[in-house]
Amino acid sequence: MHKVEIDAEIDLLEENKRLANENRKYLRENMIKAVNIMGAIGSGKTLLIEKTIDALKGEIKIGVILGDVICKADYTRVIKYDVKVEPINTGKECHLDAHLIHHCITSFDDVDLILIENVGNLVCPVDFDLGEDYRVVMVSVTEGDDVVEKHPEIFRLADVIIINKISLANAVEADVDKMESDAKKINPKALILKTDLKNNIGFEDWTKFIRKILEK
Amino acid sequence: MSFATTIVENALRVALEHSAKKVYGITVVLGELLLINPDQLEFCYKVATKGTILENSRIHIEIAKADIKCINCGKAYDVAIPLCELCGGFVVVNGGKEMILKKIEMELDENQDRISSTDKTGGGLNA
Repeated sequence: MHKVEIDAEIDLLEENKRLANENRKYLRENMIKAVNIMGAIGSGKTLLIEKTIDALKGEIKIGVILGDVICKADYTRVIKYDVKVEPINTGKECHLDAHLIHHCITSFDDVDLILIENVGNLVCPVDFDLGEDYRVVMVSVTEGDDVVEKHPEIFRLADVIIINKISLANAVEADVDKMESDAKKINPKALILKTDLKNNIGFEDWTKFIRKILEK
Repeated sequence: MSFATTIVENALRVALEHSAKKVYGITVVLGELLLINPDQLEFCYKVATKGTILENSRIHIEIAKADIKCINCGKAYDVAIPLCELCGGFVVVNGGKEMILKKIEMELDENQDRISSTDKTGGGLNA
């Protein structure tokens, strides 16, 4: 029996980094901005995408990548807005990765902006760079007002933090000020928005952000 | 589970490159900020290795600490906070997110020649 121990020293995340950089290169060469929208299940990610398309479709060409366990319901919602949508059924995988994005990104060539809806999860997506320009993290008051302090890493790396469904705060006894203050403590640089998307509260601040990033 | 699968796929690839008959153990380095539960990873590893030459092998997990410190005064921290509590400077996080397949202990096919190099990063053999 010839037993050996080898020093492998293999970076297991290198492949994702490599593909994320390829995605990033493609986006830059085609002057497309990409926004990775992460957040809790039911926080309002799909509604954010629908409203963004509806509000800006006259001025910005938008494409959408939807990641979910089974994408059909979200796909049916978004395709009604007559934009290019690529659905990715992630099955038991709890996050999108650069490899999945790499498969479909080159099918977007005539858009200004790609909105990527990540799988509803505040843990796993944070470690997988997709090649995006901006990271958005959404939560809603219905997840409890300690949801931000319980998941510091995903909020630490966000460019925009959206606290949604604020009109329900009293009904679910959630302290929105605490959520905002937790987010500021973890990430003082992030843009923090408080919204109720169903009732159009705070949505203009989001469209202002989108217009601004497309000016760059 | 996806972390375990990635580890197993890469370990299998290296083992097969060396014509290994059996793998007895692997060592992985995980950055602390990946927030992977070692017990859970061990369990998932056990599931992912079933039916392969890695089945029943041990997984040794080394946790790599992140280097978290204030860029202004150099104070070190154990957790990632945005601003230094001492001087108010920005606190920077380096590392803590790595996932490295460090070592593989395996049994080679006795009919193979002794191996002189191993992997793409130039790691050596420790017989």
